[in-house]
Amino acid sequence: MALATEQAGFKQIAVEDFRITEEPYYLPISDEVELFETAYRERVPVLLKGPTGAGKTRFVEYMSWRLHNRDGRGHEEGVPLITVACHEDLTASDLVGRYLLEGDETRWIDGPIARAVKNGAICYLDEIVEARKDTTVLIHPLTDYRRLLPLEKRGELLEAADGFLLVMSYNPGYQSALKDLKHSTRQRFIAIEFDYPPREQEAQIIAKESGVDPAIANDLAKLAEKVRNLKEHGLGEGVSTRLLVYAGKLIHDGISPRRACQVSIVWALTDDLEVQRSIEEVVSSIFE
Amino acid sequence: MSRATDLSLRYATELKGYGASLPDDFLAAANALEPRLPGAELDAWAQAGIDLAASSLRAWEAAAEYFRASPGVVERLGAEGMRDWSRIAAELSQRSSLMAAAFLKSTPEVLQSIRPGDLEAWSQQGDRLCRGNWKSIALSSLYFQVSPSLLHNVSLEALGRIVDIVDSLTERSYELATTCLETAPSIFASLPVPDREPFLRFARAVARASWADIRLYFERGPKLIEGIAPPERARYLDLAARVTAEVGRQGFPLFSDAAQALGTMPLELHARLLSFAERLSVGSPIASMEYLKSAPFVSSRLNEAQMAKWAEAGSNILNEEHNPEGAEAYFRLESARAEDMLALLSARVELSNVNQLLRMYAQALSGEPVAVQSAEALVDRNIGWVTESGATTEGNAIYLPPYVATFEEQDANFQVYKVFTTHQTGRMEFGSFVYEFGRDGAHAPGTAGRRELQVEEDRVNRAAETGVPMKEYVAPVTAMQRFFNMFEDRSLILGLFTIAEDTRIDAQTGREYGGIRRWLRVLQEHEANHRPPVELMGLRQAYMENLLRSSLGAPETMRWPQSLNEYLRRGIAALKVVELEGATVQDSAEVAQAIYDIAVAIPNVPESYADGKFDAVSEDMYQIAPGMPGEGEGAPNNMPGGEEMEFENPPQPEFRGDFKPELVQLMSKLKAQKDGSDDGPTAPLTKEQLMELLQNSAEISLGEWSEGDLDASLGAFLENIEQEAAKPAGDQKQSDQADGGDTPDGGKGDGGESDLKPEIDWFYYDEWDFRASDYRPRWTRVGERFSEQGDGEFYQETLRKYHGLVMETRRQFELMRPESFKKIKRLEDGDELDLDLAIEFHVDKKAGVGPQARIYNRRNKVERDVAVAFLLDMSASTDEEIEKQRQKYDTNDQDDFDGDPRKYFQWLAARRAKNAIEPPKRIIDLEKESTVLIVEALEAIGDSYGIFGFSGYGRDNVEFHVIKNLDEQMSETIHKRIDKIEPIRSTRMGPAIRHTIHKLDEFDAKVKILILVSDGRPQDHGYGRDRTEKEYAVHDTKQALLEAKRKGITPFLITVDKEGHDYLKQMCDDIGYEVVDDLETLPRRLPTLYRHLASE
Repeated sequence: MALATEQAGFKQIAVEDFRITEEPYYLPISDEVELFETAYRERVPVLLKGPTGAGKTRFVEYMSWRLHNRDGRGHEEGVPLITVACHEDLTASDLVGRYLLEGDETRWIDGPIARAVKNGAICYLDEIVEARKDTTVLIHPLTDYRRLLPLEKRGELLEAADGFLLVMSYNPGYQSALKDLKHSTRQRFIAIEFDYPPREQEAQIIAKESGVDPAIANDLAKLAEKVRNLKEHGLGEGVSTRLLVYAGKLIHDGISPRRACQVSIVWALTDDLEVQRSIEEVVSSIFE
Repeated sequence: MSRATDLSLRYATELKGYGASLPDDFLAAANALEPRLPGAELDAWAQAGIDLAASSLRAWEAAAEYFRASPGVVERLGAEGMRDWSRIAAELSQRSSLMAAAFLKSTPEVLQSIRPGDLEAWSQQGDRLCRGNWKSIALSSLYFQVSPSLLHNVSLEALGRIVDIVDSLTERSYELATTCLETAPSIFASLPVPDREPFLRFARAVARASWADIRLYFERGPKLIEGIAPPERARYLDLAARVTAEVGRQGFPLFSDAAQALGTMPLELHARLLSFAERLSVGSPIASMEYLKSAPFVSSRLNEAQMAKWAEAGSNILNEEHNPEGAEAYFRLESARAEDMLALLSARVELSNVNQLLRMYAQALSGEPVAVQSAEALVDRNIGWVTESGATTEGNAIYLPPYVATFEEQDANFQVYKVFTTHQTGRMEFGSFVYEFGRDGAHAPGTAGRRELQVEEDRVNRAAETGVPMKEYVAPVTAMQRFFNMFEDRSLILGLFTIAEDTRIDAQTGREYGGIRRWLRVLQEHEANHRPPVELMGLRQAYMENLLRSSLGAPETMRWPQSLNEYLRRGIAALKVVELEGATVQDSAEVAQAIYDIAVAIPNVPESYADGKFDAVSEDMYQIAPGMPGEGEGAPNNMPGGEEMEFENPPQPEFRGDFKPELVQLMSKLKAQKDGSDDGPTAPLTKEQLMELLQNSAEISLGEWSEGDLDASLGAFLENIEQEAAKPAGDQKQSDQADGGDTPDGGKGDGGESDLKPEIDWFYYDEWDFRASDYRPRWTRVGERFSEQGDGEFYQETLRKYHGLVMETRRQFELMRPESFKKIKRLEDGDELDLDLAIEFHVDKKAGVGPQARIYNRRNKVERDVAVAFLLDMSASTDEEIEKQRQKYDTNDQDDFDGDPRKYFQWLAARRAKNAIEPPKRIIDLEKESTVLIVEALEAIGDSYGIFGFSGYGRDNVEFHVIKNLDEQMSETIHKRIDKIEPIRSTRMGPAIRHTIHKLDEFDAKVKILILVSDGRPQDHGYGRDRTEKEYAVHDTKQALLEAKRKGITPFLITVDKEGHDYLKQMCDDIGYEVVDDLETLPRRLPTLYRHLASE
């Protein structure tokens, strides 16, 4: 396959060649690593459930890196990771592939799933509920013993390469009648639940990711805990670890903690003035 | 023979004709005058008297007075004066002998106050009142009667002005004039001298502007102005007089209210207030009085400088915007601007304004769904809490004082609230209420178990020694109770436990919340500086007070006899244990227990008995290392003796607030029992146990119970507590706090409520005062209730009647659906190829033009997301029969019952009786039929819709009838409610529109429409300056419609009032409206209109 071509300032790589080569920072909270490894070994599709910014994507990256090392082939290429961010206009052909006009002819282009299937990659469908219903049905034959991807327009079936695994993420937080995962879909996955880490671990993550000193990291984690108490009492979602890391980064670079929390947490979380003020009061109680 | 006897003999016959006493009076007077008057003069005097007696039938009475008064006046008047005097009397007597008599009788006394030369003027003033009829004569006589006492207090000139006033009253009522004149002497006697003239000046103004108020003024005026600073009274009265001259009848009530208000203000402010009022009075007399009226309220919120600023803002409305009405509303506090300004300037923070904020804050901190309420609410529930001004918690909610005004700045006061909340939340967060008996603390091992055994042993021993049988053992209900049971002095242990626990919470809060530390510190200092003096306390209480001060981080404020330093040191060391990191409520209990053993041995003697004075403690006491008292240290000894004072715990610092762990534990126990989640031994609590707890608890002061009926009171109290425990925790209790109608409203029950009296939810809305160009805050009260249910038959009947139309509209509406799919053309990618575009592209490419390959189409599914609210006018005028309405639209006699509902009901009853005979078709019937049709159509299309009706009477009773809520499903119940749409009262559109906006606003939809169906202009009692004014209502309605637009709601008006164009043009500006000319077409028109509106 095409090698990564490095040009001035940026790197261009084909999606199927993307591999995590450096260990991403991931702090295991429970037995999720072991579970995932086992699932991968058994080629059981995995559904990652949890609120936004709780580390689902990071976990997949981490696992993809980890599986690469565990491959036994050492420096050899490991498991590629193909990530698809789902959105409501995501159609089946966006995933599988389509014909494009090229000159007087048409040319078939593989979609990300097809590429993952061919290359034995981990295919990570982020926020799967956002995708249109018909796309979710498409992945059904891939997720059971058949491990097949039908390419309807070409009249072909793709059999998945050995390393292929389908992983999806799903945020039950904005569950509504419209955006719920169909049972026929969800019952094809094992589900690993993610939640925001407990205070100590979260503080550790914040400190590590943002470089902020442990005391501040601990305060940020404390703040997170308090803000999450407001979930469903004014807030739709609790503050994500990701936002906390942002706040930590700003503080680390010299922004005052209150201000950093305001821009990266308060304003990011809600537009409701009353709720904003409440959170700001919590911020000002915690940070001097 | 003396000349006197001689004279009496000479006139004997004349005198005899006039009754028995006259000769005697004559003789007595003549004898008295004889030495004073020369012969000729005496003769003239006598002749004048005789002439007087003869002048008319009852003139002898006047003559008698003449004779009787003469000796008293002769000295003052002299011979010439006597002649004038008798001449005046003779003149008066020609008008009326009664007057003359009164004049003569009063003269001696009057002469004490006026010069003899003024007699003439004095009598003329009285004469002026006489108009010949007997009422005027009586009044005039009264004038002479009251003159002596009046002239003691006022000048003759002033008396003249009183006469002016009385005279002007005679045109209206002699009775009133008489009363005034009668009361005048006592009024002027009581009025301080400098006030008399100004009092009169205002009286004159009142008499001119509203004569009827004079009586009230005379009755209450002196009392009213008493409250005003003496040097300012004249100014105030003159101001009031000027105002009254301009505003007429309103003048006196304004005077009275403003005087009362001024009376409650500190005297030294009066001059400044009046100066400002005088300034205002130039542009608006009313505003100046309103300013004074509102002064007490405003000053309760603002300091002097702020008040001046506030007033200045109001004066700008007057002088710069030239809007007197606006200024009046401002100073009357009926304007949003006035309130906003008040809130802006005021340092005081109201709980109602920050309640939501604090609630979320507390929820965030504690992780519990806590509510934040006013402490008053808790006191009202009578479950043991009695302080309205402090913060506290009963485990589920946080109670805060209704306002905070501790500091001069608003932000500081808000921070006070925040510290209050944080401390109370801390009790939940850091587990103040989870005490478990005997469990180890993090720093102090649990000793309660051992102690309990010891106490029990002592009890048994004591019983054995004294022979008094032991009190029966009642198992404690809660761990806290069991803990407190171990101590003889429950009040002392509660006090100590409170101090220890609060200290722990403060320390923990400071550690966890670095940001709040500063304000916690500020409040601790504030508290430490405002503690009651130790010197007045008994020794034991002083000991507690010192511990408390130490816990406030203010050791420098401690005062304690040096000789007893050791015990204080031990106490403080123990208290420091709970400040250590990780300390729990168990530690607090252990610490309280340890300090108890020291404190209980300290006698509560006054300072004089104490060993030495209460001195500031040495600095080594500032830094004491934490440590529990050692086992061997033993109880204090060598204590001073003497008579002890009654012991009382030192008052709780405000920011810590009430602490009642025993009650809180009891309530959560009861709650757990109720929920069946109690995992302890599940034997239900007995009444006996509960009573035992309540009787003994130091947390309830016995003073709250009526003596003698303790059991009954406790029983009632227990019931309250049990009730409270049965309530679900936290949040739900929000609704009765509605501060502007935030009550979330789901469709409450859709059936079965017909038997019940409809429940009314009240909402408050501002109203637009176009004159003031400002909102009148919370001016109207809208009562939302479900419409009653009638017969469902009406609905079916209408469907049958309009069968064709129903089918047609349904079809039309169904046609609207496909519109919801939008085709997007010219895409690079899509669901389908557009053949035309593809060919075109191909051609272009061959031609080498090379456009982009945008040849796809895609159908985007646009979900229809429309919510519509129909607001139906249910005013009485919709009762109008259509035929009638057609005939007479120039006699627009809308309902107006002069503020008298009775008239209205009479009218309604008459109307109903008539219609019962043969029901003609009314406007309301058409409204109902249209509703049925639109409902059918809307059901076809699936849009969310609500149907509401409104009416009411007056601003605080706007009725809002819910026929169908936006989120309610169509049902038989709603069919029945439609039948009950009927004419009720007036048409106050503004508030009804605002409430509908509120409902739409809470509803989630992309397109929101408000359709108002009405039969005429907005009108209601008090919906305008007076009965005839229509402007106000139109402006308010317009404003409400604009508010809808601002909220992204499309308002639309349909009216059947053919005359409607004039005011609708004004009211609707750029808002859509339609006048349905032919009434009968309304049912057909409404669905059509909706179709246009909703697909725009």
